[in-house]
Parts: sequence; structure tokens; C-alpha cells
Amino acid sequence: MGFRLHLDGELHEVTVARRHPTLILTVDGKELEVAAPPGPGDGHGTMEIGGLEIAFARAAVGDRQIVRLDGRTFDVALVDPYSGGGAAGGAQDALKAPMPGAVVSVHRRPGETVLRGEPLITIESMKLQTALPAPRDGVVARIYRTEGETFEKDEVIATLEPQTEAA
Amino acid sequence: MTAALFRKVLVANRGEIACRVMRTLERMGIASVAIHHHVERTARHVRMAGEAVEITGNTPVAAHLDIEQIVAAARATGADAIHPGYGFLSENARFAAAVAEAGITFVGPDAATIALMGDKISARNFAEANGVAVAPSVMPTDDLDAFAREAAAIGFPLLIKAAAGGGGKGMSVVRSTGELREAARIASSEAERYFGDGRVYAETYVERPRHIEVQVLGDGAGGAIHLFERECSVQRRFQKIVEEAPASSLDLALRERICASAVRLASAARYKNAGTVEYILGADGRFFFLEMNTRLQVEHPVTEMITGIDLVRAQIEIAAGKGLPLEQSQVRAEGHAFECRICAEDPGRDFMPETGVVQYLDVPDERWLRFESALDRGQRVTTDFDSMLAKLVVYGSDRQQAADRSVSALKSLTLLGVTTNIDYLARVLDHGSFRAGDLHTGFVREHAAALEPTPLHADRRAQVLAAAAFGFHEFRELVFGTPEPHAAIGKWRN
Amino acid sequence: MRKLQSMVSTASAEFRAYDAHNRSLIAEFRQRQDAARHARPQRDLDRLARQGKMRPRERIEKLLDPGTPFLELSSLAANMAYGGESPSASSIVGIGIVSGREVLIRADDPTVKGGAWYPLTAKKIVRALDIAMENRLPVIHLCDSAGGLLQLQSEVFPDKYMAGRIFRNQSILSKMGVRQLALVFGHCTAGGAYIPGLSDYSVIVRGTGAVFLGGPPLVKAATGEEVTVEELGGADMHTSISGTCDYPAASEEEAIHIGREIVAQWDRPRKWDCQREAPEDPAYDPQEIYGIIPDDIKKQFDMREIIARIVDGSRFHEYQPSYGTTLVCGFANIWGYKVGVLANNGVLFNDSSLKGGHFIELCNQNNTPLVFLQNITGYMIGREYERRGITKDGAKMIMAQSCSRVPKFTVMCNGSFGAGNYGMCGRAFDGRFLFTWPNHQIGVMGGDQAANTLAEVKVNQMKRNGGGVDEVEVKRLWEETRAAYQEQLSAYYSTSQLWDDGIVDPVDTRNALGIAISASLNAPLGEPGYGVFRF
Repeated sequence: MGFRLHLDGELHEVTVARRHPTLILTVDGKELEVAAPPGPGDGHGTMEIGGLEIAFARAAVGDRQIVRLDGRTFDVALVDPYSGGGAAGGAQDALKAPMPGAVVSVHRRPGETVLRGEPLITIESMKLQTALPAPRDGVVARIYRTEGETFEKDEVIATLEPQTEAA
Repeated sequence: MTAALFRKVLVANRGEIACRVMRTLERMGIASVAIHHHVERTARHVRMAGEAVEITGNTPVAAHLDIEQIVAAARATGADAIHPGYGFLSENARFAAAVAEAGITFVGPDAATIALMGDKISARNFAEANGVAVAPSVMPTDDLDAFAREAAAIGFPLLIKAAAGGGGKGMSVVRSTGELREAARIASSEAERYFGDGRVYAETYVERPRHIEVQVLGDGAGGAIHLFERECSVQRRFQKIVEEAPASSLDLALRERICASAVRLASAARYKNAGTVEYILGADGRFFFLEMNTRLQVEHPVTEMITGIDLVRAQIEIAAGKGLPLEQSQVRAEGHAFECRICAEDPGRDFMPETGVVQYLDVPDERWLRFESALDRGQRVTTDFDSMLAKLVVYGSDRQQAADRSVSALKSLTLLGVTTNIDYLARVLDHGSFRAGDLHTGFVREHAAALEPTPLHADRRAQVLAAAAFGFHEFRELVFGTPEPHAAIGKWRN
Repeated sequence: MRKLQSMVSTASAEFRAYDAHNRSLIAEFRQRQDAARHARPQRDLDRLARQGKMRPRERIEKLLDPGTPFLELSSLAANMAYGGESPSASSIVGIGIVSGREVLIRADDPTVKGGAWYPLTAKKIVRALDIAMENRLPVIHLCDSAGGLLQLQSEVFPDKYMAGRIFRNQSILSKMGVRQLALVFGHCTAGGAYIPGLSDYSVIVRGTGAVFLGGPPLVKAATGEEVTVEELGGADMHTSISGTCDYPAASEEEAIHIGREIVAQWDRPRKWDCQREAPEDPAYDPQEIYGIIPDDIKKQFDMREIIARIVDGSRFHEYQPSYGTTLVCGFANIWGYKVGVLANNGVLFNDSSLKGGHFIELCNQNNTPLVFLQNITGYMIGREYERRGITKDGAKMIMAQSCSRVPKFTVMCNGSFGAGNYGMCGRAFDGRFLFTWPNHQIGVMGGDQAANTLAEVKVNQMKRNGGGVDEVEVKRLWEETRAAYQEQLSAYYSTSQLWDDGIVDPVDTRNALGIAISASLNAPLGEPGYGVFRF
């Protein structure tokens, strides 16, 4: 059982085999016995690994895990083994209407920041109000429809500023 | 306890400083009023305050800069004083005037003093007139011959700058008369090209400058004392990230002279309030006036740590007309304190601001530590406001203990969900040159390579990866959801 | 349970000679397997790449949970048929873990004749679905096949156990409540269209996936209608108009991802409670099996040495250790599962047959799966044994074994001849899985015996005809018979014909059995009961 993890710009192979009563974790080919695996969820945790009791803190941020261990913070991403690897790229810059309707309210103005999943615009269609979430973290570039205006299905109603690569 | 000096104080600020001010207000038995934009309606300073008023604006920052709304909020809530904190309107003369006009006490100097110190030229002239050293300079000119003559008279090294410029364009350091004319010519033509204004000026160039500042208190009637100095030499992007009190390795006579100079300035200005006089200090012991900040400083807690004086309380007492809380001879400094500014930024990407949500926060609890913040778990960190999230203030009996404690506190401080400079700060406080007190404002740049994270040992990396892996739902599903004997067999192909 | 004490000296010349011999057999097996899996004309691989398709084994690797095992079945099916042009019988079958569920995966192989089904392909798929039914294993079909190979249609199409049986089995599986998912990567034409049609869930890849009873050329020929593949049976048509498929996917990766999510919704069937303990590796190194199996099928060896290298902790509780000693019976654990082992240590006599029959009954009474390790030359023959009723004692063993309610597993370790094959759960006896070692030989009798028997008949015939015995002719006949026999006796011929579920490397036996036993527990135990034992 294994996955590839991304840490500090490098890929690491992490596999696990169950060997009663412990787990054998193999990291980049090196075996470590995990007598007490870390629990789920955010916060402080401990694990017994390679004969050592290790304390750490961890939080899930999007599809990454932020780990604080030995006074340092690490950002670890899971490489989805089933994805083709092709990132969506610019596709996430635009917020498209999922159905025809009218804008009820606009929650963010151009220039304002928005986090992924936060409502950008609330629309009404077929007497049903839906809050359209931001497709990713970013800064609102343009809002194309204001309160009361109508739009068609698949119309772009807002865009985010394009993401620049690390400056 | 004596009767409260004010009934109610509106804190015209937000974040950690608003919380900090309210803490003292509460101790003093004074009610507090918070102001906030809609986006921060559930922020900690709002929850801490006795009452809160929402202010509006095109952006949250614009709301906090809206003098009329804030004065109206004070009126509406019956506040009899306004504490401006730092930043926003704290050094806005118009605001101080508007507050006074509304019959409300402004916790700070009067508008005229703010205006005097707020203008670089007038402040410089005022300082010079009162015997406070300013960096010798030659005023802007386009007569290169006259310029070269006058500049040479100041002595070397010299920094030549475009009068209209900024950003390093048309700037150069000159170390001898021979280079001067040519350097001035190049600077002038570059200035002409970039800014359409060929005028250049020159001032004494301080090599490896240190940033030293003196905390003063003035009663508004010419009485002033100092609470010793602070050093804020460790900076990035022209902003302080580590401050300490007292300054490291400053000889006593020099310390006396700098502090006396600051008191002289405050006294001459009949300064009323807590204030900070900032200097630039050269390796040769020469120091020059930079500016005076007429408000509470971000890094004021390090002074509080070594003097035991609550600067916010002092501000309020002075504003209420009670005069200085103590005499100069009563001011004692003991031990050493550091302040680390915890910022949402990525030191690996030139300290670019970061955003996110505070998913987890755990602050070490020690009697020698103050964690000044308005952070809450689940809080969104956006670029709406400054990137500073919190301040970690640590006291020790001497500089080494304070530094050791700071490193240990930084290492146990856990703030997950937003990229911060916490680990970077720990590396700064652990750096040999920092420990040796070999500081200057170019410290971060000079030691950039040494301040990068050290490569991770394979065992540590395995621990990190293990801790992370078991946080992923997919990984747990795989490890705990795979049936036997398949899990035990692992990746096997026949 | 006591740990078996091995008598094998790994330093002996004999051990080293056997080891070298068997390792060369394994090398040959791996080389043949590798060729069946990977050797393809570049032209076919290029075509696949042009279509943006993955190779079928890549699809399987992506479908499986990372780092989990995959037990491939019959990897060398059809290796001695059709001039070797249908590697693995153009179909990949195996058992693995997808989204934490034990499933049977069956994939068409578009790198061979567009994935067309040969007769043995149909046989392999039918067997795969039999396995799914017998063990209640959900099935994931990875469809990419042009349909039945027209040139060989008489061997693919009409009979009971030919292609039609695939769809019959799919229907019965569904009726049994066993889930099926079809991932349509390529064409599903004619009968093949029923694979997604009869699956509970189906995902189809846009652009390359297509499902139709008749493709565009057939439609044109039959009705004159001109129609594109996409219009006729493409992803969007089937998922938005006909409802034949459920989910459109933009790519093969996405289809696999959707497929994994579908499987993640399935319940995890409760297995019956086989006695289990924490698994433990064998105390003796399984690699030593190579030095134990002799280099000549006629040389005897102690099957306990093999047991010691397959079972947990090499521990074995032997039943009736002093009676009927040519059949070793006893309890052991494999990957934690309690099993009853029957292993041949020589020819079956009356006592060993009775012991075997009795032990099988004990295991049925105790709900203990049976593992048969075959190395059998047959039941003892001759006047003495017939008088003692060897036939009726053998019949008792066959009766007990045939009527067993517990799952049975057979490993063909070295030789399987005559009726011994039946008593020891040969292919005809519905064992859940049957694996063969590469050194193994199987036949009604050995090559030498067959040649001798036929030569004997010939000599008698020559004598009856009055002529003299033509020694040259007899020798030619003997050699011809032996050569033909030898080929058909080999494990490769056996596995080519799907008389087993694949050749396994002896050191892989433990894992193969572990996965097989685990799979078998999905199906409830059969009804208890036997026929008439002849006493």
C-alpha cells in the first residue's frame, strides 16, 4: 500500500505493509516500524516510529498536510495516483453559471481576495438560490453581472486574477 | 482603585494592538469600544470590546481610515477618548484635530506636533535646530560643480540619490573625491531618464547601519523622560521583524548620549504622549536622527518587558493630564527582551505575503512570554490588512537567555494553515552573527544563504512524511481499509 | 502446533543441483510470462499510443489500490495455441484490491488483434466469471475488444461453454447480488456490447469508447445507413441518450478514477468466519523449495518440507502421523487462515485413501478449507490391492472430496497421474483455485509408461499378425509417443488449455493461496452432506 508524497520540491515514495502488530512504513526504500500510527484530524499528535516517540502537529489545508515537527513546518502534498497529472490551469480562473438565472447578490468586489469555496455570487434560478463558490484562492478580477442582471447557462459571470508563478 | 481617568475609550484600530490596548483599559476599569469593518465582525478585538461599531468603506482598510465615521462612532457610543494604536490614523494630524474638535481626548500629541514630526523636512530641521544630530547632506541641485564641491565638504562615504527618485534608481555610494563628479553625472542622467528630473542630492552614507530607537514619554509641558532604547536592525523589505531592548553591545556612554538626545527632542517639542525617536547608528559610533513616531510603536512590549512599565497605561494617564507616571531616575531596565513579528509571508519567496485560514493554533504558555495577537483558529488571513499576524515577546535575564527562550518558543509555537516566517525567525535568532550582536539593517540580505532552512535528515524526513501521510484520508483508507491478507502481502505480482 | 523440523541440508550437493535445475525452470517460466505480457509488435503499440490508450496492464495498475497485491490468473493461457499469437489468451484476469474491496479484474487486450476473442479467450473469461460466482467476487471489466475472432467463430460462438456463457454468467452473477462494473476504454462490439449492458455500472471514455451491436461497416452493409462511431455508440450518446452507459469520462485516467469511486460505494460483504490467527512468515525460507523439488519427476521427496515453506511459522499439526503415511494430512495456517492440508508422499494405498477421506470429513465438520498439494502417481494397482478394495477406498476419498462444503484449493507440485488426480481434487472437482508449478506434469499416465504401454500393444499386434517384431518400428513408435506425451504432460500445455488457474512460482504459492482463500470466504459454505459411500 503506498502513495507518492511531495515535500520540499521532491517526490517521496511512502508505502505501508501491515505486520502484526505493527505497521512497516517504507520511505524511499527505507523501512521503519510504526508501533503506534498517528491518528486522524488536525492538531497535536504523537506516533511511535523507528523506536522513537515523536510528537508533531498537523493540519489539512486543501489537499495538503501541514506538519510541524521538531520546531519546523513542512508542507506535504499527496500526489493523486489516479490523476493524469494535467493541471486544470487557467480553467479555474473563471466562474461559470451552472444554469440560466439572475444575480441576487455579489459578495466580493474586484480587487478583493477570496478563498476557495467562499461564496462569490449568489444567483437565483427556478426560484432556487445558489451561492457560487470561488473555484480557488485568489483576487477577484471582474464581475460581469451585477444584482438583478440575468445570464445564460455557462456564461462567465466572474473571473479571478490569473495566478502568477512564484515571483 | 481610584476613579477611572476616562469612562470609555474608543480604540480606533484592530488586530493585536486593539486587543493590547483593551487589555490595559480593562485593568484600568475603563470601558472600550471597538470599530470594525464587516469582514472582521467576529474578530477578537470586537469580541473583547464592551461595544463595537461597524464602519464601512470600499475596502476594509479604507473604513479604518475614515475619520468622520470613527469620530461619529466615538460620539455615538459616548467615548470620551480615542486611542489610535499604531498605523491607520495614529499619526494623522487631521484625525487628531477632528477628535479634539469633537471634544474627545486623543490619546497622543496634538495635531501640530503630529504635523511637525510627520513631515520629514520639518522634523529634520526641528531636530537639527535642537541639537539632535542629523545626517549631513547636500540639498537637491542640478549644478553638478557646486554639488560636487559641497558634497566633498561633508566627507566620505556619501550616498548620492535622485531627488525625485526611489527604488535604488540613480543611487550610488561614493568613497572618494575622484569618483564623485562621475558618480553624480551618472546619477543625474539616470534620474533624468527615470524621473524626468535630473536633480540629485547627497548625504552621509552610514555603512552597516544599525536601527536604534529611544522610547520617550512627554507630558506636553516640556517634561520628558526616556525608557531606554530598542534595536530594530533586523529588517526585511524595509520592515522590522526582530526587535530587542536594550540594544545589543551598545557602550554605556553612547547609550546615554542617544537617550539624552531623544529626551531633548521630546522636551523641545513639548511632546505629549509616548513616542519613539529613531536613529541610524554607524559602526563608528556616529548616530543620526531618522524620524520621530508620535504614537505607540509595534515593538513597545520589549521596553515594557525590561522596564516593567505599561506604556498604554502611561499613554492614558498622560492623555488624562496626570503627567508622567515616574521620574527619569525611577526608570530602571533589567534583563533583555526580544520581539519577533510573526507574519503571513513566505521567506522562501522573498517574504511575499501569504493567505489562508488558521487551521490550528497552539501558543506556548510561559511566564516569560507574551504572545500578542488577535488570532483565532478558523480565521481567514487575507491581504486585506497587514501581513503581521502576531508578536512573540520573550524576556530573559540576559540576551543569551532571552534568545534561547525565543528560539524554543518559536519552535513550539504552532500556527498551521498559513505560511509564516516562524521557522525563519527561529533561524535568525539562532544565527551566530545574531547571537554575537553583529547586527545591521542589511543582516537579512547578508546572511540570506545561511538563513535558508537546513536540509532535512533522512530520518526526520521520514517522520515528517509519516505524520503527513496518516493525515490524508486516502492514505488512512488504504492503510486501515485494505483487507487482509492483501495489506500484509503488499505490492506483490506473480 | 509444532514447528516442522526440516531434514534438508541446504549445503548438500543434491540440494544445490536441484536448486540450479529448478531456478532454470523458473527463469524459463518468467521469460515466457514476460513475453506473454509485454512482447508485442511495435505497430500495435504505436496504434494504441496514437489512440491515447494505455496498455491493459497499465490500466490495471492504475485501477488497483497502490501498494496492494494482484494475483494474476492464467498468465500463460493459450501459450501453446494459435502459434502463440494470443498471449495470455488475449485477456488478463486477476484478483486485486480496488478502493479497499476485493475484486476480480478482467481486461481485454487491445494490443492483440484489436482485443478480439479467441476460443481460449472465451474459455478464460467464462472461467473468470465462474470464479466470480463461486467466490462472490465483484467483477470489473476493462472493455476494449473487437469481438469474437471471425476466423475461429465455430470455436468461439455456438457451444455451451463458449462466448454466450460469458453473458449467461454475467446475468447469474447479477442475480446472485455480485456487483459488476464495466470500464469501456475501446470498442464493445456485438456480443461484447452486452458486457457493459449486463454490468450494474459502466463508465465510457469519450472519443475511444464505443458500444454497439453492429459497428458502422455492418450497419452500412445491412441497412445502407452511414453513421459515425460516436453517433452510433459513443460516450455522449450512451450516457445522455440511450442510457446504456452511466458515466462519461474525458480520459482513461478519469474513467479509472470514476470506477474507483463507484467501487468505493459498494458494501463490503461479510465473509464467513474461517478460523484465523495473526499471520506469520514461514520459519523456513520458501526459496529453499527450489532445492527440495528433485530434478527428475521419478525421484521422491518429502512433502512436509514443502509444507514447512508455505505455512505460517512452518507449524503443522499432523493427523494420523503413523497411518497411511503416503498421504500427509494435517492442520496449518496460511496467511493466518486455518486450512487442512493433504499432501502426497507416494502412491495412494487403501489406508492412505481412507485416511484422506476421513480427514476431508473432519475439515468439513470443522469448517476448515482444504489445500491439496499434488504429487501423485495414482492409486496402487495390482491383484492384492484390488482384492483389498482399492477402488472402493479410492471412491470413498473421491466422494468425500467431491461433496465437501468447504472451499478447496489445489497446487500441482510435481506430478499428477491417473485417478490420483481425482482424489486429490483435480480440475474436474470444482476446487476454487488450482495452481501449477512450472516443473509439474499431468496425464493419465507418465510419458514412459504410455510409450511402454503402446509399444507393448504394438509388439503384441505384430506377434498376432505372425510377423516378427520390427524393433526399429517399435522404437520409433515408443519415441514418438513419449515425445507427444511429454509435450502434453507439461505445465505449459496444461496452463495453455486452462486446465488450471495459472502457473505459479513455488515461492509465490503462499501469497497465491492467501489471496485465493481470502476470496473464497466471500461465498457462504455449501450444504453439508455426502452421497453413498461404498464401505
